[in-house]
Amino acid sequence: MEENQAEGVVVINKEERMKKIIVLVALFIPFIGFSQTTTNEYKKRVLETAEVDIVTSFYSQDGDNASVTGGIGTEKLTDLATSFTVSIPLNDDDILSVDATISAYTSASSSNLDPFDVSGASGDDDDDDDDDDRSSNFTKSTATNVASPWVESSGASKGDVWKSLNISYSHSSDDRNTILGANASFASEYDYTSIGFGGSFAKLFNEKNTELSLKANIYLDSWSPAYPTELDSYLDDNQNLNDGHFEGIDILDQNGDIINKTGTTVWSPLKNKLIDETSRNTYSVSVSFSQILSKKSQLSLFFDLIQQDGWLGNPMQRVYFSDRDNYYVGNASSIPNYTSSSNDDVFQLADDIERLPNSRLKLPIGARFNQYINEKVTLRTYYRYYYDDWGINSHTVNIELPVKISDSFTFYPSYRYYTQTAADYFAPFEQHTSTEEFYTSDYDLSEFNANQFGVGFSYTDIFAKRHIWKLGLKSIDLKYDYYERNTGLNAGIISAGFKFVMD
Amino acid sequence: MIKKISFLLLLGSLSTSCVAVKEYEKVYINDPDMLLADKKSNRFVTSFQVYREAASGANGGKSGGGCGCN
Repeated sequence: MEENQAEGVVVINKEERMKKIIVLVALFIPFIGFSQTTTNEYKKRVLETAEVDIVTSFYSQDGDNASVTGGIGTEKLTDLATSFTVSIPLNDDDILSVDATISAYTSASSSNLDPFDVSGASGDDDDDDDDDDRSSNFTKSTATNVASPWVESSGASKGDVWKSLNISYSHSSDDRNTILGANASFASEYDYTSIGFGGSFAKLFNEKNTELSLKANIYLDSWSPAYPTELDSYLDDNQNLNDGHFEGIDILDQNGDIINKTGTTVWSPLKNKLIDETSRNTYSVSVSFSQILSKKSQLSLFFDLIQQDGWLGNPMQRVYFSDRDNYYVGNASSIPNYTSSSNDDVFQLADDIERLPNSRLKLPIGARFNQYINEKVTLRTYYRYYYDDWGINSHTVNIELPVKISDSFTFYPSYRYYTQTAADYFAPFEQHTSTEEFYTSDYDLSEFNANQFGVGFSYTDIFAKRHIWKLGLKSIDLKYDYYERNTGLNAGIISAGFKFVMD
Repeated sequence: MIKKISFLLLLGSLSTSCVAVKEYEKVYINDPDMLLADKKSNRFVTSFQVYREAASGANGGKSGGGCGCN
């Protein structure tokens, strides 16, 4: 009886076990089927063939608020930049991209780091301090005392070349719904070096109608500071106004009278230490969300969190205080006319370089919305709100209306409006006081609004029939943008982009 | 600020409730002009804006660092 009961229990246990196995197998069948489907499914390469993108631009600007000369002076600047980007498919899933960029500028404002005309400057930094004597690399015999914020100097700081190399790698999952990326970058210019690296993760779902991505980047940058020549020379020569740059040069007071350089009332900078930290680190996290809204419209949202630490001012930029006496080098009769662009022969000695907090938190949030209106016209829009803890709030609106003229040509006019409030630390020329902790007269941190108008054409040949060597030309973009802000600065930029695909 | 972020997040969450567009229906979405990013040829325009303006970021590209700009 007990044996029969035991057999019955065993049979029941076996049945239950079988049921469990059947249920488990049933549960896994869809996944087995799914995995078979995915492994047998044709997997399209993420990038079919190697691509080369070449972008070049010429930028030119002018204005009357040069930051190197304390918020007044010529802002003339030209910049020629070119980038080469090569994207190589390593296999079906992985892409390696290498981007090399070079940007060469000449700037009247930067040239006035040393406003006194210097020809034949050697550029050698043979003293024992730790700065770059780019501003004071003159010899006493070549230095003159004719200078003005409105006249471009011929010193070494009138031009520079910014070079950068960026390498990035991305891997897409078999179902193309997950993309992992990593990047590393290096950039340098005369007084600035940057090393950066980062990673990214993107996930597509909802039949690839929705994408969520996360990016993080770190930039470890450092200054090799170049200072306004009079400040640099004064500190290098032990505060002796009869040595170095100032030897044999008369210093004038506000009345145009020559001062006694060994007297009690003489020019001196506010501080005897210029920059005590050369690092500038940037940490950024970006989250973006993209959504297809319908067959003809889609939207994306961007949210960035950026923290910067270190020397966030620019050591080249002068500041003048209203509560300190003014001193000049040059023509005494031009002093009353100092802020006028007709002044071409007198220069005011700086009180200090700009000083800004060593921390800045930036929070930009943006949105793009694109609408395919019809086979000829597409509407592209962008909005960004920006906040930072230096007191700046800004709004950016951009609208672009690509119009297809033919199968190959598209005309795209664009308009952009930008507005920002001033940083808490901004004041114009001679309006700061020396009791303030932080100060700048950089008009890029002032309150202003700007309008930008653009026209562009693009040519597309999806079959890349035209060839240069083994590269088929896929598209050409040409664009001109005119930028004007209500501080008086205006700028124009011509850009050209070429896309090639490898045969 | 918080209201603006909440509004955008709400907009985002509402948009996910839309009916999914199938791959074969994405002919308009896949048009190059519909790309949810700046044109590559615009990179130096963005670059000069970063130099001349205090704001940067939230455009899918670089948001700071790498140059003596803002």
